[in-house]
Amino acid sequence: MGAQTILVVEDEFLIRFMLADSLRDIGYEVLEAADGEEGFDILSSGQLVDLLVTDVRMPGGIDGMELTRRSKSLAPGRPVIVCSAHLFRSESHPADEFLAKPYTVAELANAIARLIGDPWQKSSQTHSA
Amino acid sequence: MAEKLPDPQCLIVADADVLIRNALAEYLRHCGYKVFEAATSDEVIIALEEGAVKIDALLADAQLTGRYNAFELRLWVKDHFPDVEIVLAGSIDSAAKAAGHLCDEGPHLQRPYDPESVAAHIKRLLAATRRQDR
Repeated sequence: MGAQTILVVEDEFLIRFMLADSLRDIGYEVLEAADGEEGFDILSSGQLVDLLVTDVRMPGGIDGMELTRRSKSLAPGRPVIVCSAHLFRSESHPADEFLAKPYTVAELANAIARLIGDPWQKSSQTHSA
Repeated sequence: MAEKLPDPQCLIVADADVLIRNALAEYLRHCGYKVFEAATSDEVIIALEEGAVKIDALLADAQLTGRYNAFELRLWVKDHFPDVEIVLAGSIDSAAKAAGHLCDEGPHLQRPYDPESVAAHIKRLLAATRRQDR
């Protein structure tokens, strides 16, 4: 069985690389997307994604909030962590966790572990398509 | 005392299509490389100029977009980072083949699986997203 897979959607290249690299070091499989449209391409491709981490403000037609809604539509049980410097917790929003920027990798890793457990925990069967 | 392992060699995989980029990068990670994934030529330039790690090679789609197209980027890299090996690929099959060659040259000197299967995997993913678009 493979490790749990996290999709990181972030338009800032170096932040995306640093987050993905750190999560790989912890043991998760990580898929990277540079904006919401790429994130949705991955979610629509049938690849297993156990958890979505997304920035809110990104270029293109799909921001992080819209991506969260689409992810929940495809796989209601798949947890989503939304990260932003301009964040307002909304009761109507379907994200499972909010992280206000700036946050540390440890804070993100803790939030991920709360939602899906360690990298080798049995996948929650959140096939996207 | 345990011997310190050498730092992994670093590559950039640059492709505007996230499904192609992800699959090539994952294959090369399985070969033992550390891989930066770049969606545009601008991101390639950031990775090289940031300079925190030495980049050994760039595998880029010939249709790459951004501040520079792929061929302009190739000239820029040769000018600014002459030690970086540059491979431009014009198709999924040629990109997978190039990744296979990098794997042969790479840290582990063995292929975890055939690059042809990477190309087939990419094509399956692309077909799946096209079905979703209908």
